[in-house]
Amino acid sequence: MPDLISYLQFVLAPQMLNGLALGVSVILVALGLTIIFGLLDVINMSHGEFYAVGAFGALALSALGFNYWVLIALVPILMIPIGVLTERFLIRRVYDGGDRHVSTLLLTFGLGMIAEDLLKIVFGPNTHRPENPLPGATEVLGVFIPTYRLFLIAIGAVVIVAVALVVYRTRLGAMVRAAAFDRNMAASLGVRVGWVYSGAFAFGVALAGLAGVLLAPIYSVFPTMGHDFILMAFTVVIVGGMGSIWGVVIAGVLLTQVQAISSLVISPVWADPIVFGVMVLVLMFRPQGIFGRIGHA
Amino acid sequence: MRLNLLTTTTIAMLLASSAYAQETIKIGVLTPLSGTYAGIGQQVRWGIDQSVEEINAAGGIAGRQIELIYEDSEANPAVAVTKAEKLFTVDNVDFLTGTVNSGATLAVGQVADRADKLIATTVSFSDAITGSGCSPNVFRVNARAGQQSVALAAWLKQEKPGAKVYYLGPDYEMGRSTVAAFKERAESVGATSTGEVFAPLDSKDYSQYFGQLRAARPDVLYTSVAGNDTVRLFTQMNDFGVSEGLTILGASGTVTAQNINAIGAAAEGFITGVGYSVLIDSPENKAFTEAFRERNGADPDLYGADSYGLLFAYKAAVEAAGATDTDSVRAALEGLSWETPQGTKTIRAGDHQAMQPMYVVEVKNGQFTIARSIAGEDAIGPDTCDKF
Repeated sequence: MPDLISYLQFVLAPQMLNGLALGVSVILVALGLTIIFGLLDVINMSHGEFYAVGAFGALALSALGFNYWVLIALVPILMIPIGVLTERFLIRRVYDGGDRHVSTLLLTFGLGMIAEDLLKIVFGPNTHRPENPLPGATEVLGVFIPTYRLFLIAIGAVVIVAVALVVYRTRLGAMVRAAAFDRNMAASLGVRVGWVYSGAFAFGVALAGLAGVLLAPIYSVFPTMGHDFILMAFTVVIVGGMGSIWGVVIAGVLLTQVQAISSLVISPVWADPIVFGVMVLVLMFRPQGIFGRIGHA
Repeated sequence: MRLNLLTTTTIAMLLASSAYAQETIKIGVLTPLSGTYAGIGQQVRWGIDQSVEEINAAGGIAGRQIELIYEDSEANPAVAVTKAEKLFTVDNVDFLTGTVNSGATLAVGQVADRADKLIATTVSFSDAITGSGCSPNVFRVNARAGQQSVALAAWLKQEKPGAKVYYLGPDYEMGRSTVAAFKERAESVGATSTGEVFAPLDSKDYSQYFGQLRAARPDVLYTSVAGNDTVRLFTQMNDFGVSEGLTILGASGTVTAQNINAIGAAAEGFITGVGYSVLIDSPENKAFTEAFRERNGADPDLYGADSYGLLFAYKAAVEAAGATDTDSVRAALEGLSWETPQGTKTIRAGDHQAMQPMYVVEVKNGQFTIARSIAGEDAIGPDTCDKF
């Protein structure tokens, strides 16, 4: 019996809490991805690099003396013009030319490679790590968890609810969803579709930047960090239903818990195949994912 | 008659030219001057050039000057084999060194066997070179991988007798073999193994292993992760308070100049075993590092130091044998002891592996410091060569 309690306290409970922190991290990266896909119908392969740009931006600005808490707001705001310019001058040019999925996928893929190399040239190939703004651990029901991860779970929940409210409950969100559902009809009703598209893309990019700032103290900062979460984020978006925000949240928590708990019983190397196995099963029996798409729901 | 004269003159000229060739001792240096390992090749070159300048200035080997012939191995065993054949047959070198990656050393060793010449590596780590793949014509003057874990285990025995050890390695050949090797050593000095886990290379989050680690309640953690994986493992262990009261030992590539700054405070107290450090406090090492810095504008690393030491062994062997032929020099090298920046090295006759003092280094205030040295005999491990 003491063994069972010690197992719960030292192994299972921390594992599930860590899984939750990891889940929030994945959801933060996947949110921007699903919004850009759901609203613009663009598969943004450079999303991971926008995440990296956010993290390096935070690193550079904190070297200039900015407080970490200021950066959580400042970096996403600075990412907005980057997102608008990318959409205006790059995405839009190939948007209507032929096969939209293939051309935007190739464009953003190339953009990601360029961004990664630029980060390597500017910051060098080595790893950096911003100081943890909340060092130490907090005891929650007998389980020790680093304070910063608790903060991450809390702020992640706030961000998710805020994004969902903006998309589903505001007039702005309604305009965006209308533009995604029927572009011509929305335009004829007076919605400025061009700005809506730029804005939606920039919103997704800003969310990627926010994820970069929030995750940097845990996962460290290096030029190829964009590859880190992107595979998992795409999986979450596919399982949750392309474009659905609640789908991302549910799939994100589900898959990271599967990963966390399965790696207790089997070799951790096999945890990833199990997660992708779940994705394959979902695609076989429910190809549209758990939820539908924002514009088409 | 005229023909005869011509033949005689030609023979005389040939004799004269070979007599002239006897004037210098030719040594081939086959090392990566381009590619991934160019940085290592640079240290090899600096070390060898410096030793040759010193030896030649002091009168050479038995009165003969050393002539170096460089070839670029491009860190590619296939290129190295071709260039080694050229050095042996066209340039007719007496001795060859400089190979860096273990595959190239093993391949060039076979070329040396066929050409009946001697080679020595000053860099390659693989245990096979003086173990299962040993050759009578191949010598190694640097410490092999096994000597690192022996040095760490000797430290463990002295500092943490009866320690409970947990192992965490990256999940591929290097990680599994380093953990297996250290585990065997640690258990042989009385440590108890409490568990092991292998994390995928490039793991994002090591916190999922901390539960098992905590539940095993070890005093010592041995790890062989490297690069950015070390940054994440160490900082996450610190965040979770796992590293409190835990001594962390690791492979020599776990914490390096490339990642020590990113690890920051979490690297404090990390301990590893190495064959060379600029901090070694001996007159030989002080003289060597000062001359090296002045000559090259950089600090020597273990490759530069081991390469520098090699030709003093060759000089001692040739002078003892009174000849440069393969059999005499081989016999003179076997069992030879000589002074190097790391201290006295001795070539073990049974497998041609140099025994040398090993150093246990610890990170203090973000810098490596020498915690203790382990005598060469205690760190060498058994002779597993059965080819000669």
